[in-house]
Amino acid sequence: MALLEIRNLHARIQGVEILKGIDLAIERGETHAIMGPNGSGKSTLAKVLAGDPSYEVTGGEVYFQDRNLLELAPEDRAREGVFLGFQYPVEIPGVSNTYFLKAALNAIRKYRGEKELDAMEFLQLIKERAKSVKLDEALLRRPVNDGFSGGEKKRNEIFQLAMLEPYLAILDETDSGLDIDALRTVAEGVNSLRSEERGFLVITHYQRLLSYIIPDKVHVLLHGRIVKSGGKELAEELEGSGYALFDEAAA
Amino acid sequence: MEAIAEQKSIYLQAYEAHSAQVEESEWLRRLHRNGIERFEAQGFPGRTVEAWRKTDLGLVLREHFPPSSGPGSVASNLVEKVGALGQAHRFVFVDGWFDADLSDPGDLPNGLTVVPLSVCEERIPAIMRETLGAYADTATHPFAALNTAFFRDAVMVRVARGVALAQPIVVVHVLTSEADRHAVYPRTLIVAEEASQFSLVEHFVGAEEVFTLNCPVAEIVVQQGANIDYYKVQEEGGGSAHLGVVHAEVARDATAHIHSFACGGKLARTDIYANLIGPGADATLNGLYLTSGRQYCDHHTWVNHKAEHGTTRQLFKGVLQGRSEAVFDGLVKVFEQAQKIDAQQQNRNLLLGKLALAHSNPRLEIHADDVKCSHGSTVGQLDDEALFYLNTRGISLDEAQCMLTLAFANELLKPIRLDALCQYERRLLLQRLPGAEMAGEMS
Repeated sequence: MALLEIRNLHARIQGVEILKGIDLAIERGETHAIMGPNGSGKSTLAKVLAGDPSYEVTGGEVYFQDRNLLELAPEDRAREGVFLGFQYPVEIPGVSNTYFLKAALNAIRKYRGEKELDAMEFLQLIKERAKSVKLDEALLRRPVNDGFSGGEKKRNEIFQLAMLEPYLAILDETDSGLDIDALRTVAEGVNSLRSEERGFLVITHYQRLLSYIIPDKVHVLLHGRIVKSGGKELAEELEGSGYALFDEAAA
Repeated sequence: MEAIAEQKSIYLQAYEAHSAQVEESEWLRRLHRNGIERFEAQGFPGRTVEAWRKTDLGLVLREHFPPSSGPGSVASNLVEKVGALGQAHRFVFVDGWFDADLSDPGDLPNGLTVVPLSVCEERIPAIMRETLGAYADTATHPFAALNTAFFRDAVMVRVARGVALAQPIVVVHVLTSEADRHAVYPRTLIVAEEASQFSLVEHFVGAEEVFTLNCPVAEIVVQQGANIDYYKVQEEGGGSAHLGVVHAEVARDATAHIHSFACGGKLARTDIYANLIGPGADATLNGLYLTSGRQYCDHHTWVNHKAEHGTTRQLFKGVLQGRSEAVFDGLVKVFEQAQKIDAQQQNRNLLLGKLALAHSNPRLEIHADDVKCSHGSTVGQLDDEALFYLNTRGISLDEAQCMLTLAFANELLKPIRLDALCQYERRLLLQRLPGAEMAGEMS
């Protein structure tokens, strides 16, 4: 059984159908990339998988480690091991990063029947993981994403990923708005978290990110459907030709 | 009209019957008489009076509340609340009367005078006699007038020049079930002499089911360079009505931090007056109100900048559940001579209940031409995106709502400089929120 298996997934928002039949399977240890132009449904796919209540699933199935993912509330998907790195991480004034992560981590551990971490254990873990993704420790005490720069927000997402240790990490345009140095740091963070246990679904508009996070498979998403799948060379091909070629093929 | 005429005479009759029975000093008798005369002159406000337009006083006007005739017995759950704020110079009033047994003044340091009026009426220092009733506006505020007519006991606090108190003063006002269908008139006078510094908490608690009209008046005189933190915690039982007045007179370079926390009673209103009368005076008016069920909670503020270089900061925030209703109405008035002042006023409401209703009416009246003034108000719900973000990190909807609500309220909990009080208000908030088990250590 695949880590994630999506079959003929349809979804809409405010009556407009965005996903028109997605099929995708990711095995443990694999990194898949989804590429596509703006409005193709990339972010919708990410949010539907995470359980965003603003989207309505109108057809199809999603299985995650044998669980019917679509039946689970967003928090239970997270507790089962699905993580969504947001394209636009949300600012939460008044809630410190540390506190937020402790609540999140302990909710997940509790769900899995593991012991909740005490203050000391948590502090040690958070420092170690912050270091591993090169997150400035001062940001730990600040309110979640509040007043963070674009790069800091994205790094904070990767930091949360490192803390929560999901089985599937969906990264929604983690590269958008980053300069090349920030991009490299984020990619290094991601690469250090790749393992045989964990799958990645990396959503991006540009090929650039995939020079740093080398995918096992690349899918091209257009008008709510995957129109082509291939190896990492597909990303390079896209860089040369753009999406227009596929647009014609799809039409 | 007939009904109103009758209401007036009931209170006047009660006053006359009452004053015939009690022995009291001439100065006090004069003060009381002045109160009832002022009340008679205006009566209870109708809905046409601007300041009372939104406040439905039906609950209070439908019947007559005779003044409580003596202290009732304090149930054990209320005794617990009496000690809730930890180490302090504690003075307890039960149904309006000083209770020496429940009080715990501790060692009163030099420079701190706390006098319950009932204990030593004759020995009240002249300064306090002259100050009591000098500021609360009995001419336009009917409940300040009623209080002035009917208060029988009072707490009178003076902190001498240059004295800084290590411990806060806590005044607890308890309503017992014996005060049911009676009126209680707590009265407070605080004189912070030049360059003194201290904190004082007035904590209003009461038995759950009683229907009492609680009408407190606090007058706070902050002399030159003094620095006072005044906290009002209003959490009587769900059946009561609370109509209170806080009046602060802030002199040159003096600082008054006023913090009102309101979550009790069926109908609760606190009117805060702050007069900045000397150059460089500084006043903060903070308010946090939590309402649920069919509670009504109201804060009216009148900030008068009468001198130059003054600063005022007002921040009032409400968390509204159920079908509750809240009002914030604040007027900042800048007098002609009050140049270079800086006045800010903000009101933010968080509606957790779909049927909850928040009214916000920030007002400015500026007669000077070189000032900085701003005001604003918002009414909104929890941010769906933030809730979803927290959900995707494994945090349940209840917990996420609790976390965001606490974050909203924290802006007003944080400035509380008494840790025990900060924790206490936080607990009162969390008690109302599902999903609060996890919020224990949020900072």
